[in-house]
Amino acid sequence: MKNVYLQFAIVLLLFAAAPFFISSFHITLLTEILILAIFALSLNVIVGYTGMVSLGHAAFFGTGAYAAGIIAQHVSANMLFTLFGAVIISVLLAGLIGLFCMKVSGFYFLMLTLAFSQMVYSFVYQSTEWTGGSNGLSGIPRPVLFGWEISNMVWLFYVIAALFMLLYAGLRILVGSPFGKILVGIRENETRLKSMGYNTNIYKYLAFVISGALGGVSGSLYTYFNGFIAPSDVYWTMSGTVLIMVLIGGSGTMIGPVLGAAMIVLLETTIASYTDMWMLILGSVFILFVIFFPSGLYGIWQDLSVRFQKRGGPSEVTKLNKKRAS
Amino acid sequence: MEIIIAQLINGVSYGMLLFVITCGLALVFGILGVLNLAHGSLYMIGSYVAYSLTTTFTQSFWTALIVAPLAVAVIALVIERTLLRVTYQLGHLSQVLLTFGLAYVFHDLTKWIWGSNVLSIRVPDLLSGSVTIVGQTFPLYRLVVIGVGIIIAAGLWWIQNKTRWGAIIRAGLSDREMIGALGVNINLVFTTIFVLGGILAGFGGVVASPILGLYPDMEFQTLILALIVLVIGGLGSIAGTFTASVLVGVLETFGRYLFPELSMFLIFGLMAMILVWRPSGLLGKQVVEG
Amino acid sequence: MKKSVVMSLCVVALLLMLSACGNSAMNQAGGSDEGEGNGSSSDDTIKIGTILPFSGVYASLGKDLSAGMKLYFESVDWKAGGKKIELIEEDTAADPQEALRRTRKLMDQDQVDMLTGAVSTAVAYAIRDEVNSNQLPYLASHAGGNDLTRGERSDYIWRSSFSSWQLGNSMGQWAYENVGDQIYVAAADYAFGKEVSAAFMEAYRAAGGEVVGEVYPPLGNNDYASYLTTIADSEADGVYAFFAGSDAVRFVQQFEEYGLKEKFDLLGSGWLVSEDLRESIGSAAEGIYAASFWDYNLENEQNQKFVEAYEAAYDRRPTVESLEGYDAARIIVETIEALDGDVSDPDKVIEAMSAVEFDSPRGPFAFDQETHHVIQNMYILETVTENGRTENKVIEKIEGVQDPGE
Repeated sequence: MKNVYLQFAIVLLLFAAAPFFISSFHITLLTEILILAIFALSLNVIVGYTGMVSLGHAAFFGTGAYAAGIIAQHVSANMLFTLFGAVIISVLLAGLIGLFCMKVSGFYFLMLTLAFSQMVYSFVYQSTEWTGGSNGLSGIPRPVLFGWEISNMVWLFYVIAALFMLLYAGLRILVGSPFGKILVGIRENETRLKSMGYNTNIYKYLAFVISGALGGVSGSLYTYFNGFIAPSDVYWTMSGTVLIMVLIGGSGTMIGPVLGAAMIVLLETTIASYTDMWMLILGSVFILFVIFFPSGLYGIWQDLSVRFQKRGGPSEVTKLNKKRAS
Repeated sequence: MEIIIAQLINGVSYGMLLFVITCGLALVFGILGVLNLAHGSLYMIGSYVAYSLTTTFTQSFWTALIVAPLAVAVIALVIERTLLRVTYQLGHLSQVLLTFGLAYVFHDLTKWIWGSNVLSIRVPDLLSGSVTIVGQTFPLYRLVVIGVGIIIAAGLWWIQNKTRWGAIIRAGLSDREMIGALGVNINLVFTTIFVLGGILAGFGGVVASPILGLYPDMEFQTLILALIVLVIGGLGSIAGTFTASVLVGVLETFGRYLFPELSMFLIFGLMAMILVWRPSGLLGKQVVEG
Repeated sequence: MKKSVVMSLCVVALLLMLSACGNSAMNQAGGSDEGEGNGSSSDDTIKIGTILPFSGVYASLGKDLSAGMKLYFESVDWKAGGKKIELIEEDTAADPQEALRRTRKLMDQDQVDMLTGAVSTAVAYAIRDEVNSNQLPYLASHAGGNDLTRGERSDYIWRSSFSSWQLGNSMGQWAYENVGDQIYVAAADYAFGKEVSAAFMEAYRAAGGEVVGEVYPPLGNNDYASYLTTIADSEADGVYAFFAGSDAVRFVQQFEEYGLKEKFDLLGSGWLVSEDLRESIGSAAEGIYAASFWDYNLENEQNQKFVEAYEAAYDRRPTVESLEGYDAARIIVETIEALDGDVSDPDKVIEAMSAVEFDSPRGPFAFDQETHHVIQNMYILETVTENGRTENKVIEKIEGVQDPGE
């Protein structure tokens, strides 16, 4: 257990030191990665741990983002206000959508979440008075924390890094708790849990709402980060991107979605500067992952660390992957 | 009253267009359980091949109508044999990721070959006239598409319900191991179905593009439309897909007529309502979740 | 718990990878209030950043803008004010968030001296605050949303393309005099489409006309049958339509197929019958009236020169986007010339830019000092068939159209 605290401290230190060593462009990249990592982690609660694959998670990201932006414009730019407002509204939305979505599972769950998120998109797109419609919402004031305006990317990075650490730790505790164990149980075999007397629907519903709330948090952070929200943040392609982050990273693991988010952002940023055929390269990467690394970046990782310790011979994970792949 | 009838005809013709686009996806998902997110890309390749054939090489729409679906069939065959086969044991999510990756790859490949301009395919002279019904003018080609949709639907229904192949497919839907025991080569069945899905997608591309046009990102628009129709109709049921196509076509047409600003909201609302009310779609069978 | 060791190793690796670039964020953050921070490129090169869509639905527009810019830079041998011009192009995919990321990269990593581009209006609005607070001179070369040179106006943002008001307004009076006093309006349901049609309706009503109906099909709508049936039922003299790209092709084709062409005149913006779409539209484009600030067949010396050079270089016809790129490059070059190559002070750059005036292929070009937006001629075009293909003919010129700026 001590090890965990040590890791935590090291990461904290690295985050604190980062702005002294890397350029401001890379700080913005790292900030964006952390925000999208929170988004991917939130989706992972339902996809990875509970086994409900959603293609509508952008609804919560977008709702959080627009809520934070609109509150900042019309009420107060105080970060506690905007963040709290964003969470409340995304919890309400997740609570409402969840009521309907609990009735279905599997592919139908995926399509129902898609339908709801597209309805949210359509609503956002049409409410031009509030959201700016297709032009997006611009002119959002910078967030204010304890009376102090966070106008500088480095301070924003610190705020977001701190939140990220907090949420990561919180999620890790949640996943390890009895509640988390039940979620995994639902993923593995829902019928068995039901026969053991658990009301699985309530657990699934709670997971869905938690996931939606965290999605809202990441959305509002994105608003602080960009000072701008586009309706494409609510569109199904955004839901697709975050699902890919989770799958590429390794669903059902804590670090997987973070790695996935980092990889997609870095890939998009680096490739797009050299060629406009970035979709070709990204697509090939997805295909390679499915064929050769079905357990995602996390799988490669584990594999490497095992190999590092044992030296020589393909590890259990590779063998497993090869078996699954053949 | 006349305008209502005219809109009804518009709705049915749009619905049949949707059916032509969706049937390949419905076939593959209904029988193989593979959610082929590259379906739109196969449709797009059909369109672009047809474009090349009609403008440069042969100048004939009819040649394109046969050659383009076959070209797509070859691509589908390669995909199924080399990539998709690997994922059958890995579950739905892997297939989603794989076919999505393929969609990305095809997107850039077609852009690289055909560029990113907006293109269109001419309707052959034979079908390019207009017809007047209830005082309104309709393009003849739209009415032809209604006929094409009905023919495809009837053909698929006949194959599924009246032939030996259909029996094998229906058996495969309910119990994969059983047909293996019957001595049928299950791999061959899967390949055939996927290729057939590809042919239908390519055919849809040729038939629909004189109306919908060719432009960047067309495959994702098509994919979303096809997914909606698929879900509303229910999985594994050609009759369901057919009904859903007409329903969505008519509803969207009247939605545009009565509440133009809400038409997108209405379609997704309909999809949500149907999923909540009847999770397996209008006429879908209860498919075992895997 | 070995996993977590690996995890922290990963973070270290990531940070090391990112730290490849020399100057740290802390240093830059400390000095961000001195505006000159941008002009730190090497002495003999001036870096121009462009953000254009090279993928996604607007890819062809981005490519034409880029081709037009390169044509002009080529003509001055990539030199201005005694310095070399370096063009750094970034792909926005017409996605505002992606565009913001690219703009930050251009500012922080490439340290560009000037920024140009943006096809989608949402992209221009997205980068507006970033550009403004970093005092980076930005020349908007396509995005036409009114607000960019109205409510969102910035000292550092100038626009050489057009505003939606210019497009819509210029046709109002003409439509009343030449088409009739009743008109039906159809426009794609997005901010730009609505702005253009609102500007048209305002001018048309002011001239005395009556708008008998309005309909806004969604952007990327694939079947206009339902809308066309509704329009066919009306008593209008003409239909004013704002559509672009694949929407324009489908709308114009279906307009003819559903028999509306025999009943109504069709009028709209230049994008309804733009150079790269007319071949796909085919004969259905014949007889359309459109308003634009440039056309391939515009007769003046500058345009002849531009068209010839473009066709020689790329073996295809220039589009209105090619012209926008060509003019944007010219404005940048003349700005640098005026400053003798010293672009280190953003305030001086925009001062020099604001004074740029020249004879463009589109006619006389000058900036409105108040709004930072171009004052230009607008032309009414008619599409006719010539030698088996459709061509736009300029039938009327409206001189010196100036956006009201509010």
